[in-house]
Amino acid sequence: MKTQPIYLEDKLREVNESGRLTYRSRSMPTWCPGCGYFSIVDGLPGALNDAGIAPKDTVVVSGIGCSSRFPFFVNTYGFHTLHGRVLPVATGIKTANDALTVIAIGGDGDGFAIGGGHVPHAARRNVDITYLLFDNGIYGLTKGQTSPTSAVGFRTSTSPYENLDQPLNPLMMVLTYGATWVGQAYAGRPQQLEALIKQAIAHRGFSYLHILSPCVTFDKTDKTYQRLGDHVVDVPKEHDTGNLVAAIALAANTNTPALGVLYRTVRPTLADALDAISEKAGYKGAGVRRRAAA
Amino acid sequence: MNAARHHVIIGTGVAGNQAARTLRQREPAARISLLTLSALPFYNRYDLPRVFRGVHDWREFLVDPPSYYEEQRIGLRRCTRVVNVDAKRKVVMLEHNEELPYDTLLVASGGRAYLPEELSEYQPLLDGFGSFEQAMAMRRKLPDEGTVAILGGDMIGLDLARTLIDTGHSVVLVAGKQTFWPHVETPEQRQELLRVLERMGIEVIEADEVGGIASIRAGARGFATRRVVFGNGRECTADVVLPSFGLVPSVEFMLGSGVGIERGLLVSPSLRTTDESIFAAGDVCQIWSGEEKRYRFYYGWKNVRAMGDLAARNLTGDDETFEPAQDETLHIEGGVTIHSPFWEYA
Amino acid sequence: MRTDVQISICGSAGEGTIAAGDILRNALAAAGYRIISFDAYPAEIRGFGKCVARLRATTEQVYSLKEKSDVLVCLNDEHGIPHVDDVRDFGAVIYEAKSITRLAEGGHVSAHVHPGQIPYPLALRELSERATGALRSRNLVALGYLAGLYSLAPEPFLRIIEKKFKSKGAVAEANRKAFEAGRLAGTQTFKLDMVSFGSPSAGQQSVMLSGNAAVVDGCLDAGIDNFFGYPITPATTIMERLATEMPKRGKRLVQTEDEISAIAATIGAGYTGARAATATSGPGLALMSEMLGLGVMAEVPSVVFVSQRGGPSTGIPTKTEQSDLNMALFGSPGDAPRIVIAPTNVEGCYRCAGKAFEMAERYQTPVVVLLDLYLSNRYETVVMPAKPPFEPNCDKPLAKQELGIGYRRFALTPDGVSPRALPGTAAGMHVVTGLEHNEFGRVNEQPENHEAMSRKRHDKLLAALQHPDFTHYKRFGDEGRVEIGLLAWGSTFGECLAAMFRARTEGMRCAAMKVVMLQPFPAVAVAEFIDQCDVVLVPELNFQGQFAHLVQAQTGRIVHRYNRVCGGPMVVDEILAEMLRRVGTRRQKAA
Repeated sequence: MKTQPIYLEDKLREVNESGRLTYRSRSMPTWCPGCGYFSIVDGLPGALNDAGIAPKDTVVVSGIGCSSRFPFFVNTYGFHTLHGRVLPVATGIKTANDALTVIAIGGDGDGFAIGGGHVPHAARRNVDITYLLFDNGIYGLTKGQTSPTSAVGFRTSTSPYENLDQPLNPLMMVLTYGATWVGQAYAGRPQQLEALIKQAIAHRGFSYLHILSPCVTFDKTDKTYQRLGDHVVDVPKEHDTGNLVAAIALAANTNTPALGVLYRTVRPTLADALDAISEKAGYKGAGVRRRAAA
Repeated sequence: MNAARHHVIIGTGVAGNQAARTLRQREPAARISLLTLSALPFYNRYDLPRVFRGVHDWREFLVDPPSYYEEQRIGLRRCTRVVNVDAKRKVVMLEHNEELPYDTLLVASGGRAYLPEELSEYQPLLDGFGSFEQAMAMRRKLPDEGTVAILGGDMIGLDLARTLIDTGHSVVLVAGKQTFWPHVETPEQRQELLRVLERMGIEVIEADEVGGIASIRAGARGFATRRVVFGNGRECTADVVLPSFGLVPSVEFMLGSGVGIERGLLVSPSLRTTDESIFAAGDVCQIWSGEEKRYRFYYGWKNVRAMGDLAARNLTGDDETFEPAQDETLHIEGGVTIHSPFWEYA
Repeated sequence: MRTDVQISICGSAGEGTIAAGDILRNALAAAGYRIISFDAYPAEIRGFGKCVARLRATTEQVYSLKEKSDVLVCLNDEHGIPHVDDVRDFGAVIYEAKSITRLAEGGHVSAHVHPGQIPYPLALRELSERATGALRSRNLVALGYLAGLYSLAPEPFLRIIEKKFKSKGAVAEANRKAFEAGRLAGTQTFKLDMVSFGSPSAGQQSVMLSGNAAVVDGCLDAGIDNFFGYPITPATTIMERLATEMPKRGKRLVQTEDEISAIAATIGAGYTGARAATATSGPGLALMSEMLGLGVMAEVPSVVFVSQRGGPSTGIPTKTEQSDLNMALFGSPGDAPRIVIAPTNVEGCYRCAGKAFEMAERYQTPVVVLLDLYLSNRYETVVMPAKPPFEPNCDKPLAKQELGIGYRRFALTPDGVSPRALPGTAAGMHVVTGLEHNEFGRVNEQPENHEAMSRKRHDKLLAALQHPDFTHYKRFGDEGRVEIGLLAWGSTFGECLAAMFRARTEGMRCAAMKVVMLQPFPAVAVAEFIDQCDVVLVPELNFQGQFAHLVQAQTGRIVHRYNRVCGGPMVVDEILAEMLRRVGTRRQKAA
């Protein structure tokens, strides 16, 4: 069957007209060629553009790491914070002004080593933010040390003999912490990734998207495109996304990571709870007072 | 010997305070506890009439300043009531449930105002003058040029009468058996003394001549005035009524101790009771008098002070006997005033 | 007639000691007296620890508690006995008349009353049981007794008892009865002590606030939008009270999972333009250090209230100290300057709290407000201003033409402050980061840039030394040259003032200066002050002399330290003795 040729000019026009480029900043990403993060820096703008969320109303918050350079590469408001502290800063931003769309970004080390103490609380409070966790199983920015999601036996600069620690399972953790939207994506499948990002943002509540993303420079053996590509599967069609236990079972299977939405439910957000308290306390006004934007 | 002996003295009157002073001089290392019901340190009761001369601050009545007790390391325990003395265990039991072990005990609790049985029902209407608090209460109740009715008229009451007259008040004396207590006088002497009192400005009513005191009433509601009603119907009005019938020794708390008691604590001429560790001094004790072949009281500031000093010396090794320090005669001066050795104090 | 009566109530935790103190100070304040009050608690919630409620009622302005109390109420003999020494001669000691258990010699308060003090045995237990059937009301019997003994009007007491216990029904009635029983006993007692209450001055309307409560009022009056906090002694009550008040105004408060997330959320909220704050103590401030540095680097406003307590490490959580100054000034990686202010009394807590939000916003920086446990938990009667004296918006205006692709969030302006575009502002998008950055906010490692930005972050704060309607420092006492000057900060200044006034009555020429803005430091004014003193003494409640260090570093002058880490406020007598010692030595040398 003959396929239609795709002309570069058409493609460029299409991209320009879509408007997604307005979400990209003038800074070129500093990631290594082939890094999975390129899919995300394309996917997030696409998702925001599709959803019609303006750059001025978006805040991208990050921790420290390769992933966390992200805010510089998009044309939204951004806060590049400290290692492990993206979630509480994001919570502060959203609580102060819930007209803003807040995207929290961090790597596996940022989120589950030093930042691990903050995840349960952001999840259980159901802060209405989207947490994009870039999992490459390594500390890339500091040149290749073991991370909480590194496999047993993995060799890195700080585990020259081999890694002894059992890796964490962030998806299982986040599910038990009470997150109200949990999904998994893979940088090697950018269209699915963009779709999932869009769903995550649209969800009203704490959305957690775990993004498997190879580090081409420091991980040549474990979480490579080759191996991941072979092993990832889609979340089975019959999976009930309202069934927490089933979602946890899916998440437990790390040999064949399931891509898609694992779990989804609706309950009041942190802002809802705080506003309900205000009402209880007798406050009769409308919502949170915000400084008028210039 | 035993440098940390604990000497307990019950009563901070003249006797008790003198004993504490002497004890401290004799045993610099001993512990001394001085117990009293009063809320104030030792002051001179003889001095109290000064409240009618404008002295209202109790600090001006103190014989020793508070620092004296601290410097001399005398443990002054005020608002402390003794309820029993266990002489076998040598422990003083205090009302607030504390036990005080002692090596030696000196009872110098003195006497309190005696109120005859037949007048006890009127106690709420009567005033006292035995403490600073009572003296100030009387001063507040008594208006300028007010009247005080003194029932009985012991020397303490008559001393107060002098000051009351001198400060513009009126005094009515209802005289009876206790007039001039503790002096003993003949009927003729008594009549002469009563005339002197009248010349001093005191109105004298002989209780016998008016049928005794029948009752004491309060005035109409809102008035502090008192009415003393006599047997023959006669009444006398006063602002304050003061029973002045002499002293009765305070010995109730000693009843369980086993020491000899008649009206007061019975002591040898060296002031020791029937318990070798317990002595007594002052108005509370009756001292054996070889001359009179009886246990008798000795009153007056000089006697009482001498007893306190003697007891302290005997408690710390001496063995001397008591010699009365003052005579007991009541004199008339110039026909217009009387003079009693019981009015003298340093 | 001048009134100056200090009352201490001593009991064990669980005997209602603190409640009694609270009722007493409120009643006396309502009656019109000025109050300074500070209680001491045990660390445990209940059990056998000792509590001492202490308050001083005056008609004139005073600055500290007195060394000696005028009246002591012992609800518990074991705890009360050590405090009998704290009562002055001719003062009153009120205690339980009779013990239910047999006591060994010396086990009763009456054994310890000094000859110069007046003992008032009171049948607390019996009166309490007769009035309410319970022993629990002994504290109220004692309060009533005080009211009766000193002829204090009962109405303010009864009103406060009513209010305090109104949610507990029968308890209010029982407490009222207990109070009346005590009061009757008090009126029937012959008053022998030399303590008396004169008529209170008919002054302005005042309220009684603790330092922490004043901080809360300052926050509310400055329009606080968000508070994020984590419980820690002695700052917890700030969060507790805000948790009640903020929702009433539709404002959001969240208790976070730790101090790091507390300051992180505060800074996040500050980034959006909200007025946000957190409150903590030393250990929490340590945890917040890294984040404060981010606030400095990203030039985001935030306010941190720090109530210092005994250190180091977990230290002594229920005792006061002033040993977190260094950490407040410097704690963070690199040169991370931030504004640090420290009030000296409860009214100052109110003003500094509100002003902190102004400064954070105007200079785009974290502002650390240093209190200490003594100030946080101390009550004072304060006259509040009729209108909140705080500016609701201190942001530097951002002109529309500056927005767009060329918007420089970190523009190098003459005063160092760059107008900020708040999220939601069209064409104002930018990234703030903890990495060194250029004017556009983009990561930049160039040496000239780093030097320029470092200068910007430091120099912009200097304008805080001229921040309007703020007392950065103040001198008291003799004008011109003096023999000795006291230089102090925080709550210690109250004791220093008291010592200074006493020293002057003893013939010393002296002055005292309080420094409220510690960073940036008013070096010129302080140096001037030091130059006018023959000797300068710096009393502070820390071991290392952190403030003295700062003064010497900033002014280049030598000062003399007077350091105590006694867990309680500085003792006026001891400061005075030290002053006399130094002046004496000096006078001797001169002679």
